[in-house]
Amino acid sequence: MDILKIRDAKDVEAVVRAALANEQPLEIIGHGSKRGIGHPMTTNAVLDMSALNAVTAYEPNELIITVEAGAPFADVASLIDSKNQQFAFEPMDTAALLGTAGIGTIGGMIGAGLSGPRRIKAGGARDHLLGAHAVSGFGDSFRTGGKVVKNVTGYDLCKLLAGSWGTLAVMTEVTLKVMPRPESERTLLLRGLDDVTANRAMTAALGSPFDVSAAAHVPGSVLRVEVEGLDPLGPPRQSLTLIRLEGILASVSHRAASLAKSLGSFGPVETIEDAGSAAAWRSIRDVLPFAAAGALGAWPVWRIVCPPASGAALGQALTRDSGGEVIYDWGGGLIWAALPPKPDGQAALVRARVHAAGGHATLLRAAEEVRRNTDVFPPQPEGLARLNERVRQSFDPRGLFNRGRMVRRSEA
Amino acid sequence: MAILMPEADAAVLKRRAEIVASLRAIVPGEGVIDTPDEMRAYESDGLTAYRQPPMVVVLPDRTEQVAAVLKYCHEQGIKVVPRGSGTSLSGGALPIADGVLLGLGKFKRIREIDFDNRVVVTEPGVTNLAISQAVAHAGFYYAPDPSSQIACSIGGNVAENSGGVHCLKYGMTTNNVLGCEIVLMSGEILRIGGKSAENAGYDLMGVITGSEGLLGVITEITVRILQKPETARALMVGFAQVEAAGECVARIIGAGIIPGGMEMMDKPAIHAAEAFVQAGYPLDVEALLIIELDGPAIEVDELIKRVEAIALACGSTTCRISTSEAERNLFWAGRKAAFPAVGRISPDYLCMDGTIPRGALPKALARIRELSETYGLGVANVFHAGDGNLHPLILYDANRPGEIERAEAFGADILRCCVELGGVLTGEHGVGIEKRDLMGEMFSEIDLKAQQRLKCAFDAQGLLNPGKVFPTLHRCAELGRMHVHAGKLAFPDLPRF
Repeated sequence: MDILKIRDAKDVEAVVRAALANEQPLEIIGHGSKRGIGHPMTTNAVLDMSALNAVTAYEPNELIITVEAGAPFADVASLIDSKNQQFAFEPMDTAALLGTAGIGTIGGMIGAGLSGPRRIKAGGARDHLLGAHAVSGFGDSFRTGGKVVKNVTGYDLCKLLAGSWGTLAVMTEVTLKVMPRPESERTLLLRGLDDVTANRAMTAALGSPFDVSAAAHVPGSVLRVEVEGLDPLGPPRQSLTLIRLEGILASVSHRAASLAKSLGSFGPVETIEDAGSAAAWRSIRDVLPFAAAGALGAWPVWRIVCPPASGAALGQALTRDSGGEVIYDWGGGLIWAALPPKPDGQAALVRARVHAAGGHATLLRAAEEVRRNTDVFPPQPEGLARLNERVRQSFDPRGLFNRGRMVRRSEA
Repeated sequence: MAILMPEADAAVLKRRAEIVASLRAIVPGEGVIDTPDEMRAYESDGLTAYRQPPMVVVLPDRTEQVAAVLKYCHEQGIKVVPRGSGTSLSGGALPIADGVLLGLGKFKRIREIDFDNRVVVTEPGVTNLAISQAVAHAGFYYAPDPSSQIACSIGGNVAENSGGVHCLKYGMTTNNVLGCEIVLMSGEILRIGGKSAENAGYDLMGVITGSEGLLGVITEITVRILQKPETARALMVGFAQVEAAGECVARIIGAGIIPGGMEMMDKPAIHAAEAFVQAGYPLDVEALLIIELDGPAIEVDELIKRVEAIALACGSTTCRISTSEAERNLFWAGRKAAFPAVGRISPDYLCMDGTIPRGALPKALARIRELSETYGLGVANVFHAGDGNLHPLILYDANRPGEIERAEAFGADILRCCVELGGVLTGEHGVGIEKRDLMGEMFSEIDLKAQQRLKCAFDAQGLLNPGKVFPTLHRCAELGRMHVHAGKLAFPDLPRF
């Protein structure tokens, strides 16, 4: 394994040009925290971006921060936290789910594009990437977007880079939108609802004027074992439906009371405040019920995105047919499913059910052997698959970057 | 008029009768317009200084017709310009002499309202406002609100990634669309995304939004809808100096408050608006802020107090707080009428659209004043202060020889200044033809090639809306050419592990 640890953005260009000349595909890593996601790559050259880690500029009053792609997420998050700001899309920390160390880099956060519970209100990683410098598969540095929140100059290539798993270009610097951290948070808690009823409760909450910032449901069967952040909420084996409100204290209290009243028909509504609420949402965000070190740590985990109102029907069909467990976030629009191991990770079953519900499924955690033989990312209809491939080639025609990670390649 | 369009292809123009006949076979009856009189309505969009009759206008009413028209044009090498309501302020829908103008005006049906999933599935010709109206009975609305929302189509909003007064808090079009049906230039029909929060594969919806009609023709859109905030109140705050108003904006954001809208007007804009609608604007101030807070009443009341305190600390000379819907609407009336108000004091005006970092506002306004003197043309400034989006209105008289050229040169200098200050050429109106030749101020040739290669992935022959956005046209074969170093090239000397 040849690990190329670059020192600056110019080095990245030089590495890519050499890779081009030598027809040498590159695996691009920051801290490597998400290397286990996607199809195994066969390359033996690794482009290590971790030394490109400076904060270029942070302007709290402009609501932006510009950082190099290898900057550690944890450092950047604590920097903006010191100014009472945050990445509003609540980026997921995959460490517990994957059983890896550390949350990784800003580049990895954008490349993976895994957004947390607040996505339903604040948008995803793609909505917070304002500009980027990157090196394309042509070996040239280019920039896209800008350093202001409102910009429509040229194609918004940032949208493509976010969630591209490093398969389009090597980002060297990114400008991200930051938002004020809410002054307070409250979570309304309903107990013992079945999935379908919980889905209805979440739909009602999200369709209310009370500005819900997160809505999740954890079925009781998931809580047979202790789960960090959720365990303090009460008796095990009883499902939890969580609805979060954030903002200034007076507003949050008012909305919590009003929403609790309007959800009264679903049962008694409890309220969890500040630290307890934050811990519960970290648990949901990072999918701690399916943590690698936990009881279901050996099961493959699917990340399913679907129309939110049909989430429960889909989740129930999946658990019934597979014998697995699910948790719901995004008001039902995001389902995490841990299924008993099968050679294909139960891909055929999952994809058929998810497709019928109008969603798509990614096999986020699975053994390497499973990921080698199963489509990790959702296979697309033919025309769309071809367009995706043409888009990829427009950035990286020789397939230098993370070759085969998203789409299985016969030559890989 | 400084901007040139690609030269018309004489061979295509010679075949006009045959092309019209072929299009009639696809879209029968009134769907094909080819007489000069009838085509006149389509020869310009909101950038009225530029006019060009198309070769022919086609108005299909279903996706299959759009696909057949594009497939035919693709096979025949005929250029196509898509058009929604024609309200683009950057010339995005300006026809080309040897091209088909493809109007989506007949796609005006809302296909589905799904309150449970909080989405509306709509055809592209539906107006922005009509979507909000269709869901208003259940307390919902569609958040992006460009000032042309009564007329502009949702398809055009997607093409331009339209913003509006409330996008500081609620995002632009791109943050509020989930999926689409798109027809590629080849005639291929694709569905991207849907009612889910994210689409599979690369975020094609994200890059199609704001692509200015160069990547495909959208025939259906799925948008997110939101519950209307419980209440909204506005403050109208005057300042004796622009700098103080700028400081006030920065401190509000710095205090963690994201208002629903935060607008600024300078003295000429205040005077023009006040003369037009009598909104009660103070005439003795240099800058006026209209700040709207929305949400639950208890939250709005609290934030109004905080904003008022910040304004006072920044030296505001007047501060009025709306106590009724009527009063709030009155505060807005002047701002919303600013463009027509300026239209009353000047025979013509050019509306510019740059974005700057908020902190650079005083510098930008000072520079605009200098330029105004240099060019001998008046200017009124309207500004989405919350997100740094400037709309200088340059006053000129098209009947005076040379004045439009001077106004355009003035506008170009303003946009150059925006880029120099760390901003961008366009915040919400799009590049179109208007800012096409300025793209080099912000992007290098390499940056632009990266974008143009993406265009090749969607439209390899470059037939869809050519002459827009990019200052130089390149063939896809040339863009895709790889300059690989001959022979083996060593990896740089780096620490290895």
